[in-house]
Amino acid sequence: MSDDTWDPIQFELLRNAVISIADEMALTIVRTTYSGVLRDNMDFSTAFCDPEGNLVAQGLTLPGHLGSIPTALAAVVERFGHAMKPDDLFCLNDPYQGGMHLPDIFIFKPIFHNGKRIAFAATICHHTDVGGRVAGSNASDSTEIYQEGLRIPPMYMFEQGKRNETLFSLIEANVRVPVKVFGDIRAQLAACNIAERQFLELVDEHGVETMSQFLIDFVDYTERVTKAALLELPDGEWSFEDWIDDDGVDVGQPIRLFVKFNKKGDRLFADWTGTSEQVKGAINNTLSFTKAATYCGVKCILPNDVPANEGFFRCVEVTAPPGTIANGVLPAACAARGLTGFRMVDCVLGALAMMLPDKVMAASDGGNTGISIGGYDSERNPFIYVDFACGTWGARPWADGLSGNSNLFANMATQSIEVCEAENPVEILAYEFVADKAGAGKFRGGAPYRRDYKLLENEAVLQVRSDRKVFRPYGLYGGNPGASSSNIMNPEKDARPLDSKFTMIMYAGEVLRHELAGGGGWGDPLERDPESVLRDVRNELVSMNSARDDYGVVIKSDGWGVDYKATQILRVEIQKSRIGKTPAVLWQDWPRKDDKGADL
Amino acid sequence: MSRFRVGIDIGGTFTDIVFLNAEGRLFTKKVPSSVDNYARAIVEGMAEVFGEAGITPEDVREIRHGTTVASNAILELKGARVGLITSAGFRDILEIRTLRMPRLYDLAWEKPPSLVERYLRQVVDERVNANGAIERKPQQIEVERVVRKLLDEKVEAIAICLINAYANPENERFVEEVVRELAPDLPLCISADVLPEMKEYERTSTTVINAYVLPVVATYLTALRKGLDADSISAPIYLMQSNGGLTTSETASKLPMHIIESGPAGGVIGSQAISKASGLENVITFDMGGTTAKTSMIARGEVTRALDMQVGGGIMHGSRLMTGAGYALKVPAIDLAEVGAGGGSILSIDTGGSLRAGPESAGASPGPVCYDAGGENPTITDANVILGYINPDHLVGGAVKLNKEKAISVFTRKIAEPLGLSLEDAAHGAHLISASNMIRAIKAVSTERGRNPRNYSLFAFGGNGPLFAAGMADAIGIKQVIVPPSPGLFSSFGLLYADVEHHYSRTFRRLLTDADPQELTTAWEGLAKEALDELNKEGFSGASAVIERSASLHYKGQIYELSVPAPSGNFDSKKLAELAENFGQEHEVVYGHRAGPEEPVELVNIAVIGRGIPDSSRVPEKLYAEEALTPVANSRKAYFGKSYGWIETAVVARADLQQKRIGPAIVEEYDATCLIPPKAEARLDSFGNIVVDL
Repeated sequence: MSDDTWDPIQFELLRNAVISIADEMALTIVRTTYSGVLRDNMDFSTAFCDPEGNLVAQGLTLPGHLGSIPTALAAVVERFGHAMKPDDLFCLNDPYQGGMHLPDIFIFKPIFHNGKRIAFAATICHHTDVGGRVAGSNASDSTEIYQEGLRIPPMYMFEQGKRNETLFSLIEANVRVPVKVFGDIRAQLAACNIAERQFLELVDEHGVETMSQFLIDFVDYTERVTKAALLELPDGEWSFEDWIDDDGVDVGQPIRLFVKFNKKGDRLFADWTGTSEQVKGAINNTLSFTKAATYCGVKCILPNDVPANEGFFRCVEVTAPPGTIANGVLPAACAARGLTGFRMVDCVLGALAMMLPDKVMAASDGGNTGISIGGYDSERNPFIYVDFACGTWGARPWADGLSGNSNLFANMATQSIEVCEAENPVEILAYEFVADKAGAGKFRGGAPYRRDYKLLENEAVLQVRSDRKVFRPYGLYGGNPGASSSNIMNPEKDARPLDSKFTMIMYAGEVLRHELAGGGGWGDPLERDPESVLRDVRNELVSMNSARDDYGVVIKSDGWGVDYKATQILRVEIQKSRIGKTPAVLWQDWPRKDDKGADL
Repeated sequence: MSRFRVGIDIGGTFTDIVFLNAEGRLFTKKVPSSVDNYARAIVEGMAEVFGEAGITPEDVREIRHGTTVASNAILELKGARVGLITSAGFRDILEIRTLRMPRLYDLAWEKPPSLVERYLRQVVDERVNANGAIERKPQQIEVERVVRKLLDEKVEAIAICLINAYANPENERFVEEVVRELAPDLPLCISADVLPEMKEYERTSTTVINAYVLPVVATYLTALRKGLDADSISAPIYLMQSNGGLTTSETASKLPMHIIESGPAGGVIGSQAISKASGLENVITFDMGGTTAKTSMIARGEVTRALDMQVGGGIMHGSRLMTGAGYALKVPAIDLAEVGAGGGSILSIDTGGSLRAGPESAGASPGPVCYDAGGENPTITDANVILGYINPDHLVGGAVKLNKEKAISVFTRKIAEPLGLSLEDAAHGAHLISASNMIRAIKAVSTERGRNPRNYSLFAFGGNGPLFAAGMADAIGIKQVIVPPSPGLFSSFGLLYADVEHHYSRTFRRLLTDADPQELTTAWEGLAKEALDELNKEGFSGASAVIERSASLHYKGQIYELSVPAPSGNFDSKKLAELAENFGQEHEVVYGHRAGPEEPVELVNIAVIGRGIPDSSRVPEKLYAEEALTPVANSRKAYFGKSYGWIETAVVARADLQQKRIGPAIVEEYDATCLIPPKAEARLDSFGNIVVDL
């Protein structure tokens, strides 16, 4: 093992204790929070860090925050590191000084013992509103950060227990719902205080040297298990390209994502050079968010019990040139950068699928669609209904893609329809799977669902941020891509098709239908077990026509059995008809462009 | 001699039977479960006790039963073939669930299969809006067509759950009528009856679960009654519910959703009764068997309840944060935290060089290495044998011979040598690590709920609980451990202490400032009437039928509710204020802070518990186990870590603790082994519990 101080028994005992601190911090937040984003999307994280700011343990919450805490904490330590005192608390949200996007407020508490800093407690919460031109501070069509809300550079929130009243009154004057924001800040403070109390109890019991050494040992341990896992993987270089439909501002202008992985021994490098320049719309990433997306994909191919801390980060190096959508610079807007993160995870998995063909799934629905419907009722009371929709996984090399399951990158929960209808002037008319939109394959992609929203108030501003309308979720190794996502206004009347990202006025009685994209398929659909196709037909997820045309499976006319003889003949015919055509190994259904947008 | 109450707890491997009468006479029996027909083992086991104890079937006053029949039906997906009728547009509520999964970064995650496959989920066009107004009624012709379709598919039960039915059940009632006309004998569950609360997934899932296990439970209870009758045992059968109260077998056959976590509840209720009798108000229960360990909290004499649970999800750390592993079941249940740690937990060294215990288990077969039944993975039980904690020759009771040499050789090769530790230090480390995993379950019910475990006693039972309890208590600063008589059979024993209980709830969503006190009183009285009717049917009335009110509330905007007691009688503004204050105080206790008076408090659900108080006390003053408690006068070497080393340790019987004894000592009993660490002080209290003071 690493050295003479390594005590495997005590290590395991302390690991349990410290991980449970980070988890208990997370529980504190989830149970006391006011905002829907926190409670349903779990858009928050908690962490425990060493006195230099290295991440040691993270609460089990949002993959999108993996790796963001060290960046933010480094900004705080750089500015205040030497002056910190007990009962100081620091905060920030500025993406250009350690943050990710403005709604994410980071709060840190240094933990002291006998006057010496021995650790940090850290929390991030996505707040309901931080001001700016659009309620929720999450608009995808802002074009510079100055439109997006209140920027908080690293600063004291409490100085030796004394509240920074200037900061609090600035926040109060700049956000739309100060009660909610302050309620969630309270939850963050409570979590930091719980962490401090529990860690100091451990220090009392085991001594400060032991606990400080443990923080180092746990990171080293993680590095060992990560390296051991990486050594098991093949060496080589793999790259992958995928495209975002557009940024919602330059409509119809595709945005390129490109990642190259290089695996050598116990190290993995991910380079996003070749990714599009930063865009006008608010979907630009900070480097820390690009790292989070990369880490998320990489963690999926490592054993599930590799801890998420600095030791893991040491083995996976992520680079992205400044000025790209993967590493935006001032004044890039970034409120809705979640979209780019989701799509980067798809891109990472695409590259890793070439490294490990039997381990990685085809493309998912592209992540959360954000839908907001806001306005004022007849008594001028504001309402804002925000919903996120996702739920379709790509097919796996061993099983169908999941249907109605949260995206890997953001383990959100759906809101109850009945609660939503009781609280908002919105009626949900449908929430169910759509047939024939999953990518066909030996293993089928997940079936997407649709959600129909009817407005009950006179008028409202409707804003939608979706993707995967033009660039469909890719299939792998002969699997078909999933079907496009779609937005349709008044599907039962004139059924007007809408773009993937838009802002418009909606009137009473109008209905927006959003359909997710279908998951990509894996493997040749002709190899799919006909009984699985029959089951899908019985469950009305695949039509008789699709069974015949996409899978070469003939279902008996009564619908209760496979006509095996006819199926065999049909599958041979389809095989023959393919000769001379390019097999659909990956998606092939849009014009290829280089990183400057020129046609290839 | 007074008549006996009989507690029967069926587990996967063993059926435990306990007889107890008012004088404290106690007979126990452990027989293998008869998996093909669980009733057979019960009837045969009882017959054996009649023979051995010289009592007759007429001496049985009542039977109290905890069973895993319902939860097994879900775990093994062997419930009824259910058809679900739901609103057009919402066919997939049951399968989409809440979207959330309990694991991150796991491409191999599979959702639990839907209990009703899509082709058996049928929709009817209808709509009730959020205010309860009916926008569209279902059409008779369409409903008939849908029901016929399900009947053609030979469904064995039908569940109905329509959108917003919690606000107005009229459309559900309409569909119900049609089903009853076309299939009068088919088991039928309607969400408005089963769970009139908002949140469509939880309500649908709960209604479906009830329908799914109903035929299984009804068949089982009928068979059990028949078997008992054939043996002239005419005593009534009560079933333990997940909430810790009893219900009659008739009610359990209609609402089996309440008996799904029947098994673990008995032990908690027994802990509550015995600790109350011993003057202890605050207790953490710790129940450890072969594969899992469960904890719960009794605060101020009351068990803590959760408002909902997940069934069939397996066990994992952090499950309180990451829901979605199992099926949502929204019924009140004793709040248990469970970890995959038991005697069979497998020990391993990971690639980072750290020693891990579980969650994989060697189970009953092949079991630990020392069972010599083919097990090649060292387990916690092997470590305990190496340490001298467990009798090296055989499991207590003598049923299973142990091979200590084999345990030592495998443990040395796979654990001690790779770690570079001595045999005993590695084994002791494994014991501590396993304990630290279980401490997380203790934290889950205490610190995570704002309660300091140091203010509690640890009440330990289950085959392995008493082996670990004192060490764990010491590690987290708990000062006292209680080990009740027959700890290995305690789950069945605890059944004898439960009251009859019925829980009813409904959604009553309103800001407290907007709530009409009269309307609220009427709503509460409606629930109370349901509970009283049920209790009257069971022979409880007047002073022996007690109604308690509770309400779940939150600050407007929060999603999680806290449940608090509510004042009785007619509501007025003062009582509304009292309810708000109860909520504020609880919020402070659980989360460490409360909002100011300007923040609106919202009432979400109201509930009542109807309790049937029995005519006679259920806790005898003292227990007399009939089996011999002869002192064993024996000793063996046991290892207590580097600071103590190997110590020649007395092996004693429970009765030997009538004189106070300073540890180390090992108490060997028929069904469990209790470890008393060095310096701890052990004695028997007047009730027959082992009390270990640390």
